[in-house]
Amino acid sequence: MRQLSDNALARLRNGSALPDLGGTRYSLIEKVARGGMGVVYAVKDEHLQRRVAMKVLEAPGFESDLAERLMREARVLARLEHPGIVPVHDVGTLADGRVFYTMKFVEGQRLDEYIESLTSTPDRLRIFLRICDPVAFAHARGVLHRDLKPGNVMVGPFGEILVVDWGLAKILEEALPTEPMGPDASTLHSRAYCADGMMVSATTGHGSVMGTPGYMSPEQERGEIELLDARSDIFSLGVLLRYLLSDRPPVRSSRRLDHALAAICRKACAPARERRYAAMQELTADVSRYLDGLAVAAHQESIWDRLARFYRRYRFFVLLIAAYLLVRVILLLVIKH
Amino acid sequence: MAQDEFTGGDERFPATRWSVIVGVRSEDVAERERALDRLCEAYWKPVYKYVRLRWNRSAPDAQDLTQGFFAEMLGRELLNRFDAGKSRLRTYLRLCVDSFVMNEDKAERRQKRGGEIQHLALDFAGAEQEFASGTIDASAIASPESLEAFFEKEWVRSLFGLAVEDLRALCAKRERDSAFQLFEAYDLEGDDKLSYAQLARQHGLAVTDVTNALAWARREFRRIALERLREICGSDSEFQRETRAVFGRSTC
Amino acid sequence: MNKILLGLLLGAVLGAIDGSTAWFTPAVRAQMAGIIVGSTIKGLIAGVAAGIFARTVNSVSLGILFGLAVGFVLAFLVAYMQHGYYLEIVLPGSIVGMIVGYATQKYGVASAAAR
Repeated sequence: MRQLSDNALARLRNGSALPDLGGTRYSLIEKVARGGMGVVYAVKDEHLQRRVAMKVLEAPGFESDLAERLMREARVLARLEHPGIVPVHDVGTLADGRVFYTMKFVEGQRLDEYIESLTSTPDRLRIFLRICDPVAFAHARGVLHRDLKPGNVMVGPFGEILVVDWGLAKILEEALPTEPMGPDASTLHSRAYCADGMMVSATTGHGSVMGTPGYMSPEQERGEIELLDARSDIFSLGVLLRYLLSDRPPVRSSRRLDHALAAICRKACAPARERRYAAMQELTADVSRYLDGLAVAAHQESIWDRLARFYRRYRFFVLLIAAYLLVRVILLLVIKH
Repeated sequence: MAQDEFTGGDERFPATRWSVIVGVRSEDVAERERALDRLCEAYWKPVYKYVRLRWNRSAPDAQDLTQGFFAEMLGRELLNRFDAGKSRLRTYLRLCVDSFVMNEDKAERRQKRGGEIQHLALDFAGAEQEFASGTIDASAIASPESLEAFFEKEWVRSLFGLAVEDLRALCAKRERDSAFQLFEAYDLEGDDKLSYAQLARQHGLAVTDVTNALAWARREFRRIALERLREICGSDSEFQRETRAVFGRSTC
Repeated sequence: MNKILLGLLLGAVLGAIDGSTAWFTPAVRAQMAGIIVGSTIKGLIAGVAAGIFARTVNSVSLGILFGLAVGFVLAFLVAYMQHGYYLEIVLPGSIVGMIVGYATQKYGVASAAAR
């Protein structure tokens, strides 16, 4: 038997890992990223002469649940047509047996890289609201993301926000009909189906733990799949909000979190689901109210909080009035003297 | 094997698909021997090198221990105790090797066994040459993780070596020797400086012919390597994990 | 509320308040009523002017500058007619102009179409 050198071994491994695009309309450009389930490559669509991203299972030859999961991810993305969600173009099987789907190629920065250039709290809050938009849309369509974190948010070259990697997305039971559901749909507290379409039994109530530690809701960490609903994603968004407002990278405004913002984060990240915001609309409404200088639902204001908020909202106006009064007092004293 | 076997889709991995684990538990003697042969084919070289490195045995001692281990595996039905839910087969085998060597030392009954595994020609001289020519720093390989990594690498080398030989035979059978030559030149012997254009010139072919031939050869290589891998995995989930470990590491 | 109306009301209120501070100058206490009326009208004019400016120019800094300029001019005219009290009239009057200039830029609705 021929002896294979380390170099030959590496070349064979590399070559085997690359997707076999023979017979497809795509040509390989480069490997872009590696996710939990598949690898993302930049490929060229020779028909449309454009660059797209191709997500492929890590290795060829699967006829198993991984292939089905990748297809599910593609189908989930296909039903979520939103500017903040990467559109799917194509699905299929490569010549080497690997399942793939192609999607828009996103050129941009990950959120954690992008926010280094954002130093004010309001700017970061506005970014957060734009992240909430596609998530709220997905909830209205009965889809949970289940892996929201800075690494899964991209900022495009024109500042557009894209929530990516829906590989762990879950379709909620009641949302199977084709009609899009209204805003209240995100308050679903329904039974959820697992990746293979089987209902988790009520007696066990447990499944495998999937998600990112630190961003997963407590029920997700415990593997209680049947308890997952919109509030699980809200938990993750609460952690993401805290991340956006944290000192690393530094934010220009005061280091300590404002009481109202801290209250919003606390409510979103409450360990008990019942204590969290029930729907995305409630979370975004509170953040919007904070940005407008209004009272937020999550925080019971004291009189001092109210005065401080009034001052923040009308700061310049108050300062002008104060300047006027100061001038008047000075003139009075000067005249008297 | 037809390409459409790998089109994916709705078929799940059949539970009764043949593997060495299924084979060794068969009541058919020929089936058991075939399973052991397949296992030995894939593992004897990694086991030999592992014994040389981990247990620091001389070449003759390592050869003897390797032969003994596979004989023990058959005699004591070690594979019957393997539980695919608890570990990978290769990890289980590596630990069995450790246990075997320790027991042999303890009992001091190590004897020259000679060629116990009759069906296969084990080229220990070649294996020793590979071991000696490899750039292995024994002092750097001390932790269990690095030993596991070493064993895995040698196991992949063995697996790919077998697949390359199968591919050579397939190309000869289908009268596509030129495809194998191109595969050998580019993927086995080549480096980053070698281009398709250079290969085309060297072989007097068009570049598209080189591209197509290499694509075909790689596709067949993957298919064959996967078949080999599937045979030496204990379960579908182990096969998925091992496939990711073997094929999922590209550095492009 | 549109910007012109906002400027009118705010200017009038601030003008009245500004005029009433004349009480702290004993020499002019006897003319309080006239001073308050005059100051209210001055503030009203400044507010309307700032409101009209805010409908066409959307810039807080320019609005403040415009208000300052209008407030200054009107206050100077009043002080000129009084033949004195320039500092006591022009300085606060300019600040009142700045306040209505800022307020009409930040608040109020630009036009019915914009609404």
